[in-house]
Amino acid sequence: MRDGINLAKLGIPAVALVTEEFWPQGDFVAESLGMPDVPRIQLPHPVAGSGKTNMQKIAEEIAPQVIRALEAASD
Amino acid sequence: MTEMLAAADEAAALEDLHERGCTDGLPVVIPTAERVGRMVLASGQEADMVLGTMGPGHGTATIEKIAVAAVMAGCLPDYMPIVLAAVKAVIAPVFDLTEMQATTHCTAPLIIVNGPARHSCGPVSSGYGALGPGHRANASIGRALRLTMINIGKGRPGSSDMALLGHPGKFTYCLAEDEENSPFPPLHVDLGYAQDDSVVTVIGAEAPHSVIYSGDADKPEHYKSLLDLLAIGLANPATNNAILTSGTATVVLNPEHAATLHTAGLGRQDIAREIHERCRLDGAQLKQLAPAFAGENPPDRMAFSGPEQILILMAGGSGLYSMVMPSWCAGTHVNSPSSVKIESDFYCEIPG
Repeated sequence: MRDGINLAKLGIPAVALVTEEFWPQGDFVAESLGMPDVPRIQLPHPVAGSGKTNMQKIAEEIAPQVIRALEAASD
Repeated sequence: MTEMLAAADEAAALEDLHERGCTDGLPVVIPTAERVGRMVLASGQEADMVLGTMGPGHGTATIEKIAVAAVMAGCLPDYMPIVLAAVKAVIAPVFDLTEMQATTHCTAPLIIVNGPARHSCGPVSSGYGALGPGHRANASIGRALRLTMINIGKGRPGSSDMALLGHPGKFTYCLAEDEENSPFPPLHVDLGYAQDDSVVTVIGAEAPHSVIYSGDADKPEHYKSLLDLLAIGLANPATNNAILTSGTATVVLNPEHAATLHTAGLGRQDIAREIHERCRLDGAQLKQLAPAFAGENPPDRMAFSGPEQILILMAGGSGLYSMVMPSWCAGTHVNSPSSVKIESDFYCEIPG
C-alpha cells in the first residue's frame, strides 16, 4: 500500500494489491498518507501459500483491472 | 473486612499505593469503598466469602479483596465472573501458585477464556492483537489477576517473586479462543466441559514466541513442516520443556494454520500427538548443551510426557504467524493447567 502511494506521489502510475482481510488497513494507510483515493485492487485472502494454480488464476482475473487502473492513473 | 487506607485525594492515594508496592508500577483506579462495593455487588456474592489462600504470602482471597484488584485494574463489573474464575484457577492446588510466584523463571499465568462468557462477561478478544494493547477486557482481567497475586499472594519482585527478568505478560496475559472461526471443537469441550459452559483455563507460560509458516497448497504434505516448526518453537534445547521435561505448554494457532492442519485431516488431539512426537531431544546434544541437567549418559528423551501436555487453542488474526508458549515445567504438578467454570449465574447487573 505504502509503496503504491510513494510511487503515485512520484508521478509513476501505481496500483496497490490488497487482500480483503487487509482492505481496512489499506484504507487506513491511504487516508493517513493523504491519498485516500489511491488506486487499489482487492484480492481474495489468503494468497500466500494457496498454490501456484490458484495464484495464476487470481493473477489472470486481476490483470485487466491492473491495466485499467494503470491506464487511468496515466491519464 | 479489608483494611481501609486514607488519603487527601486520589492523586495522593495513587502515590501511597505505589509507595506500598500495591501496584504493578502503572497507575491504578483508586479502589474506593464505593467502587469496590459495586464490584462486589456485581459478583452476586458476599464480600467476605473466602475462595482460598494465595501463595507465597498465603493471603486470604475474599470476594472483596479480589474486587479491590478488579477495580484497581480497570475492570468493568461485567468482567467479575471471569476474574473470580481465574483466581480460583490459580488457587487450585494443581496450579502450584506459591512455587510459580517464587521461581526465578519468567512464567506468568496465561488466561484462556472459552464459552458464552467471552461475550457476556467481556467481550474478551480472540482476534487481531488479542495479546496486545487495545482490548479492555483482556487487559484488565489479566491485570486484575496479577494484582491479586501481588496484593493477596504477596508476590513482589526481588523478595518473593524471584523471576530474574519476568516478561511483559506478567502485567496481563489474557485472551479468548476464537471458537466461531475455529475448525475444531472449543478447547473447553475437549477438556470435558459442555459446549454451553464458560470456562477459564490458566496455564503458566513464557512470553509468546512467534512461529512463521507459509504453506503451499500445491504440496499436500507440506503441513508437516508446520508441525515441525511448532515443535521446534515449543521445545528447542534452550527451553525448560527440553531440559526439565514433562510440563504442559501452549500452542496458539492462527486461523490459517488451524485450517491447514484441519484440511490435512487433523483434529486437536491429532495435532498434539504429532507435535509431541516431534519434541524428541537428542541425548548427546543435551549432554553437550546442558550437562548440569542431562546426567552422564542421557538417552534421547521426550519433552512432554504425552500429547495431553500440549494445550492447543485457536486465536489471532489471519496471516503467517502462530504462537507457542514454552513453560516452566517445575512445581509438584509440573506446570499443569487449571480450568474453572465461570459462574455467571450469581452475577448481578448493576443499574446505572
